[in-house]
Amino acid sequence: MSCDTFKPLLMGYLDEELTELEAQRVERHLQKCGDCTNELQEFRKLKEVTHDMRVITPEDKHWDQYWASVYNRLERKVGWILVSIGSIILLAYAIYTLGETFIFGRNIPILIRVGVIALVGGFCTLLISVLRERLFISKSDKYERIKR
Amino acid sequence: MIVNDEASAIERCKSGDREAFALIVQKYMKPAYYVALGYVGVPEDAMDISQDAFVNAFRHIRRFDSSKNFFPWFYSILKNLCMNHLNRVRRRRERSIDAMEEEEGQIPIPVETVSPEKYVVRRDLEKKIGQALRCLRPRDREIIILQHFQDFSYQEIANLLGVPIGTVMSRLYGARQALRRELEKMGVRY
Repeated sequence: MSCDTFKPLLMGYLDEELTELEAQRVERHLQKCGDCTNELQEFRKLKEVTHDMRVITPEDKHWDQYWASVYNRLERKVGWILVSIGSIILLAYAIYTLGETFIFGRNIPILIRVGVIALVGGFCTLLISVLRERLFISKSDKYERIKR
Repeated sequence: MIVNDEASAIERCKSGDREAFALIVQKYMKPAYYVALGYVGVPEDAMDISQDAFVNAFRHIRRFDSSKNFFPWFYSILKNLCMNHLNRVRRRRERSIDAMEEEEGQIPIPVETVSPEKYVVRRDLEKKIGQALRCLRPRDREIIILQHFQDFSYQEIANLLGVPIGTVMSRLYGARQALRRELEKMGVRY
């Protein structure tokens, strides 16, 4: 077996994660290979320097509150969905009422009718454009399928 | 929680049982946080993203096959959120006039020595190691934090990431090489 095959095994050897048989194979290779021995030594030094270091752990209160925070986020998601549905219903009704009053109402100046039609038409165009863009992004999102 | 308990908890989650989901969250919240920290490098962001990942997991739990391990499936959700976050941060930096200053002022990943008597002497080294961690690729940083700094066993990491132990060793080899190179660039001698 070449050194390239043994190099990842050096990690298992260093961290005492190999089986006895694997460790013996690595030791036999190290007896014959100066490069791998030197590399192991470098990794050992790195491990010694950092062996009592830890990434700073959040305080216990953060862990105690972790589930509560997840729960609140779950509730907020439901809340936002309800707000969105309610807003869409009210907005649709407002547009309908606006159209009924100002477009089809009697004695409304033509300029106002045209203005309302332009406003409603412009809003619908913008909404469709944004929705189409979001749909395009979600279809082409490069993180949609994650490779581990 | 043993595997069978986890599978039955997940089945209850599929019926909308949030108390059952609380058990899953409490089991995996720390590995989720450390994986997220490996990717995004900022503790507050890692906390937010890991919690959002659990929210997304609960919303899509019906798609999950409860005969399989939960964390590898959850990991893909978590990683997706981390990568989206990194993408937003990168786009913000590209738009920012002060991007260069922001880059230079990046906060290193906070690292501490657990032996108090060495605290004063090693403070500078801790900061350099935190900076070196920041310079690693997210994949390298992730495995270094899980194994090198937080002492997860190879089997635990293999289970968390859903990869063979051989892959854990290969990735750890690459990650430690990268960490050594970064420390050498900073002039750290050990």
